[in-house]
Amino acid sequence: MSQPSTMEAADRRFGWFMSAPGLALLLAVILFPVFWALFTSVHEFTLIAPNFDTFTGIENYAAALGDPAFRHSLGLTAFFVGAVVLIEFAIGFLVALMLNGVERFKPIYYGILLCPLLMNPVIVGLIWRMFLHPSLGIVNYLLTVAGFEPVNWLGSTKMAIWTIIMVDIWHQVSFMIVLLLAGLSSLPKEPYEAARVDGASVFQSFFFITLPLMMPVIIVTLLIRMIFAVKTYDLIYIMTRGGPGVATDLVSYAIYRTAFVSLNIGEASAMSAILLAVILIFTGYLYRYMRTLT
Amino acid sequence: MASITLDKITKTYPNDVTAVNGVSLDIRDGEFMIFLGPSGCGKSTTLRMIAGLEAISSGDLLIGGRRVNEVDPADRDIAIVFQNYALYPHMTVARNLAFGLRLRHVEASEIQSRITRVAALLGIEPLLSRKPSQLSGGQRQRVALGRALVREPQAFLLDEPLSNLDATLRASMRTELIKLHNSLGTTIVHVTHDQVEAMTMGERICIMRDGDIVQVGAPMEVYRNPADTFVASFLATPPMNLLPGRIESDGDGLAAVVETCRLPIPAAYREAYASHAGKPVIVGLRPEDFQAVAVGGGRTAPVALHTITTEVLGPEVILVANFASPGGPEVHIRMPRDFRAKTGETVTLHFDLPEIQVFDPGTTRVLARPFLP
Repeated sequence: MSQPSTMEAADRRFGWFMSAPGLALLLAVILFPVFWALFTSVHEFTLIAPNFDTFTGIENYAAALGDPAFRHSLGLTAFFVGAVVLIEFAIGFLVALMLNGVERFKPIYYGILLCPLLMNPVIVGLIWRMFLHPSLGIVNYLLTVAGFEPVNWLGSTKMAIWTIIMVDIWHQVSFMIVLLLAGLSSLPKEPYEAARVDGASVFQSFFFITLPLMMPVIIVTLLIRMIFAVKTYDLIYIMTRGGPGVATDLVSYAIYRTAFVSLNIGEASAMSAILLAVILIFTGYLYRYMRTLT
Repeated sequence: MASITLDKITKTYPNDVTAVNGVSLDIRDGEFMIFLGPSGCGKSTTLRMIAGLEAISSGDLLIGGRRVNEVDPADRDIAIVFQNYALYPHMTVARNLAFGLRLRHVEASEIQSRITRVAALLGIEPLLSRKPSQLSGGQRQRVALGRALVREPQAFLLDEPLSNLDATLRASMRTELIKLHNSLGTTIVHVTHDQVEAMTMGERICIMRDGDIVQVGAPMEVYRNPADTFVASFLATPPMNLLPGRIESDGDGLAAVVETCRLPIPAAYREAYASHAGKPVIVGLRPEDFQAVAVGGGRTAPVALHTITTEVLGPEVILVANFASPGGPEVHIRMPRDFRAKTGETVTLHFDLPEIQVFDPGTTRVLARPFLP
């Protein structure tokens, strides 16, 4: 009786011993900064006076949430995430359904699809900034050649957020396609044959079989994409710096500005904590959902 | 209910592989027809063509006298049970059963009453609110069968429905399917590679090989009069012993000679085998046609067997032995349960001569002789 338990204890000790270096590293580079930021968020810590002399409690949080600019950023981010995820999902699912029926040249399609995904967001931003330049960009040139009015892609307060949304879709839609395609190709084939004999049309098969069977994949894909979209920063930094005005001031960029332009690290930390909480809610839901699947 | 007629049905895939090669067959209204053959023989493809899940490359398919080559599977009024059941994994059992009826806009009360009836018939009432993942293999099999039954189709197509079940369950489901067929009287086409299923369930067996029909007939007819060596060696376990030999003149009669053993040919078969006198043949002897005691009137002939081993199965003993001489071909012989023989021991058994079959070694076809009743 005692023999196995001591062996188990020894096993456990050995396990801790082996994972200790990795855990220590994780603690140092992930957990420590998180707690440092949380600690900072309850102090008046600025880059002009970088000290923890003044404990302010939830003052930074109240200030952040009371700031119309930050609330605007939160709302804009919600809109951006909603638009990006839904449009990418619609396009992605459609393309995945079409590709799922393709037999020939599959690797070539995959290769083309994965190209944008392999590019760094900064590069994507730079390329599209050049393409969309109001007077020198190829997009406006082609529009004028075709007889259309040139569009002020990044300079108009109405247009800029949609431009960012379009570029993000161009960049990230393959992620959806690849994940949904993997889901589709792993669906069992037999229920479709049974449904054909049962009298289901193509659309009935899609709504009664494909959609319910794909639900787990769809939800996981949507949640992952949402979590990533909430953090969008690089595109904004390269393409608009949150402008014109605050028209593309997504929350990640707003936090950056508060910390390193306004030099108010305390309030920026509070904003980060709020963003972290939102992402944690999504992640928690994702985790719970994935556990119900197994 | 409906008859199913296959007229020179061929299936050729785009890569020029011919899976089914001009198959013609009449399945009678209300018949229990078995497609039997090894894997890759085209039996499942034929079934899928009847169901409409595979396009027919050439030939005509008639269900109930109507040509249905281009008719959608949904409109053929047939139901199919798949080998892996193909239940809708996200629906409860009740919804699985109802799905086909709802698509056909059957009234809700009618759907309910049919489900109740079929569930009672198959004993799956307690499972109706469960999902397929919560069912055992046998239960899933019943649900798949139930999904076909509620449709009340003209014909049932069963694609190896028992092959994923364990031996005990398979045996009991065999009986249930037979009972079901007796009570419904609907045409059933059942695909299997299991010769026990074929022998026990079918009214007729259609044996296929390499996309061709080799033989069609009632189980005992096919068993006792196999068309060629393939059928002879495919039906029954252990299969028919196929031994290289010759037909020789034997006074005014004929004899099949294997090694040193002479098996006199019964007078009724002389005419059939006369043309092969003096030629090499394959002699077919069923394992169950040997007996310990000779029967008078020249009905049996003695055979010396050199025991290799015996397999004691309980109800019977399989004697594995060299035929006629110690270096002779290996044969399997079915003996009663109290039979014993030691390795190396020579046993003399008596072969029941009217059961002999002779095959042409070139074509492997049987030499046609008067049919056994």
